[in-house]
Amino acid sequence: MSNITSVRPATLTSLLTRIKDNRPVFIVSVFSLILLIVIGIKGGPPQILNTFVSGGMWALMAVGLALVFGVMNIPHFAHGESFMVGTYVAYYVYTPLLAALGSNPNPVFKALSPFAGIIAAGLVGAILGIIVERLIFAPLRHRTRSGWVMNAFLLTVGISFVMTNGATLTVGPNFRGIPTYWDVDPIEILGARLAVDRLVAFFISGVTIALVWFFLHRTRTGRAIRAVAQDETGAQMVGIDLDFIHTLTFSLSTATAAIAGAALLFMFQAYPTVGLKPLYFAWYVVMLVGLGNIAGAIVGGFIVALLQTATQLLFTITWETVIPTIVMILVLLLAPSGLFGSEVKGIQEQ
Amino acid sequence: MNEKTSTTTWQRFTALLKKVGFTPLGFFLLILLIVLPYIPPFDQEHILRWMIMGAFLAAQSVAFDFTAGYINVVNFGFAALLGLGAYTSGMLANTRPSLILHLGVSPWIGIWVGAIVAGLVGLLLGMLTLRLRGIYAAVMAWFVGIALLGIVNNMTDWTRGALGMAPPSLLARGVGNRPYFYIILGMMLVVYIVLKLITNSNYGLAFRAIGQNIDAARASGINPTKYRVFNFTVSAFFAGWLGGFYAHYFGSLTPATLMHTSKTVEVLAIAYIGGRGSLWGGIAVAFPFVFFIEYIRSNLTDLPGLHLVIYGILMILIMIYYPSGFSGFFDWAKGKILGLFSKAKTQRHETDLRTDQG
Repeated sequence: MSNITSVRPATLTSLLTRIKDNRPVFIVSVFSLILLIVIGIKGGPPQILNTFVSGGMWALMAVGLALVFGVMNIPHFAHGESFMVGTYVAYYVYTPLLAALGSNPNPVFKALSPFAGIIAAGLVGAILGIIVERLIFAPLRHRTRSGWVMNAFLLTVGISFVMTNGATLTVGPNFRGIPTYWDVDPIEILGARLAVDRLVAFFISGVTIALVWFFLHRTRTGRAIRAVAQDETGAQMVGIDLDFIHTLTFSLSTATAAIAGAALLFMFQAYPTVGLKPLYFAWYVVMLVGLGNIAGAIVGGFIVALLQTATQLLFTITWETVIPTIVMILVLLLAPSGLFGSEVKGIQEQ
Repeated sequence: MNEKTSTTTWQRFTALLKKVGFTPLGFFLLILLIVLPYIPPFDQEHILRWMIMGAFLAAQSVAFDFTAGYINVVNFGFAALLGLGAYTSGMLANTRPSLILHLGVSPWIGIWVGAIVAGLVGLLLGMLTLRLRGIYAAVMAWFVGIALLGIVNNMTDWTRGALGMAPPSLLARGVGNRPYFYIILGMMLVVYIVLKLITNSNYGLAFRAIGQNIDAARASGINPTKYRVFNFTVSAFFAGWLGGFYAHYFGSLTPATLMHTSKTVEVLAIAYIGGRGSLWGGIAVAFPFVFFIEYIRSNLTDLPGLHLVIYGILMILIMIYYPSGFSGFFDWAKGKILGLFSKAKTQRHETDLRTDQG
């Protein structure tokens, strides 16, 4: 523990100096503050709470994306499809479970049954990640590493294409959703009423991110993953099994996206292209903070959520993707490697 | 004597063909495509429609490959640029007073205006992606594509947004699909020949140099700015041009079916299965593909999306195991077959060389 206390002030000061020295970060901080004030004036506390809830979810999505890029150098275009799988698994586990509980269910079981759906989604996501990595990325990695970033990107595009259309093929194009997970009265926070579903979704994202963070920083395997992210050859030299680390990382990332999908089933009904919007927002986050930057992704999730909510309030919901996209185009122009910069290997490769 | 002149004529002819990017086999297949609409069963309307879609997809893949296969920047906003051309032409030709613009401009002019507008946006996109490399450039193009799609969706007073608009058709009603087929085939040829002439010139060399290693290209005196922007502009111009055909042939425009990223992915799949950096590979693959896919779609209607799954899986397999695609396979097979014929000759040649060195 003493270790942590000695480290924390140093990181805080370094963060502050970084903000002071880095003009884009400074601009974005001021901009976010303005957005927060605008949201506060136009929408009041409910909208601020909503912003935090969606911010948590975009952060969770973006962490998975950042992890996969940081460790494996894969710009993951099919991340939204992992989200989609999560929504489907949650739907197909939760609804039968609720039906099995009968018309007069035990309140404890009823309150816990959504978690069964969410955990199942996480498990299925993890298995799916293993399958995809073993089946698609491992063969390419073993064949050639030249032009890897672009090839991997196009492969994920293909995966996304297959998975969306595969979903249409197997479960059909219909919308499958639930009105709510927990049918209880909203909770009052700061004078605003917040649905329990949203609150729980926020906690799930927080807990999942914390678990991933703990895993990466406090376990041996997690350290190995970070070692591979820093220097693959070096990691291999000290005896880290690269294949295992890559499969694990991809599986972890897919699982987090699936959990996000399952936790948000009440907002996003399950249908083949449901992953598109989460994919867009996760990409906004990683482009904003720099590809492969996991810590930055958490902060970025909230900034993008601010932008999203402000757009919804100032324009209409149909502009929701347009305005953030235009802002991200500007960010890409002014700070191509993101706000916090990313020193990921292979990033400059053509 | 007589035989000799005939060979030189033949050689002159093949040299001419080569200049515009055709091998004798390719030229033969082109002639076949031209006469095919008169040969049963290809003279049926629905099969002609498939052939139109094949030519349309083929032309798109050529324009896409011009950027992806040469300067190695994957233009993820390609479908959005195509849609921009389609919408520009469609809006100009619109006669319904319910929309803001109802000028009723002839589609024959509108198509060119659409192409120019798309070309200008392509110029902008080229400039935006200038500083960016590889994945960043692709993501930038993707974001621009999303923004364009969203803007078209939101300009409901101009485009009717997601409801879709119905531009007038290019030719008079009741002419059938055959004239349209010749139009799109002609457009495909123009796209192919123009782009082939460009890539066969010094520009093509510069593109390849930039695509392989931008720093080395800059060091050897190639100005990447100029070539990349030029490449994007030309590719976008043709995308918009083809979009104009789409608008006035299919007669229905919605942002989701035209400008969506998945439409870019379809073109990308064809271009990659055909073979990166070959231009002609996409054309060779597009026709059989459209037939195959439409066959599946019309015969297995209870399995929606199967054809797209096959598309995607094939693309993944090609990318992992056979990155040079169909054109690479063709070159390899051609080398093998020609090798069989001239084996004795080359062996003799090799022994000559060896004795020379010895």
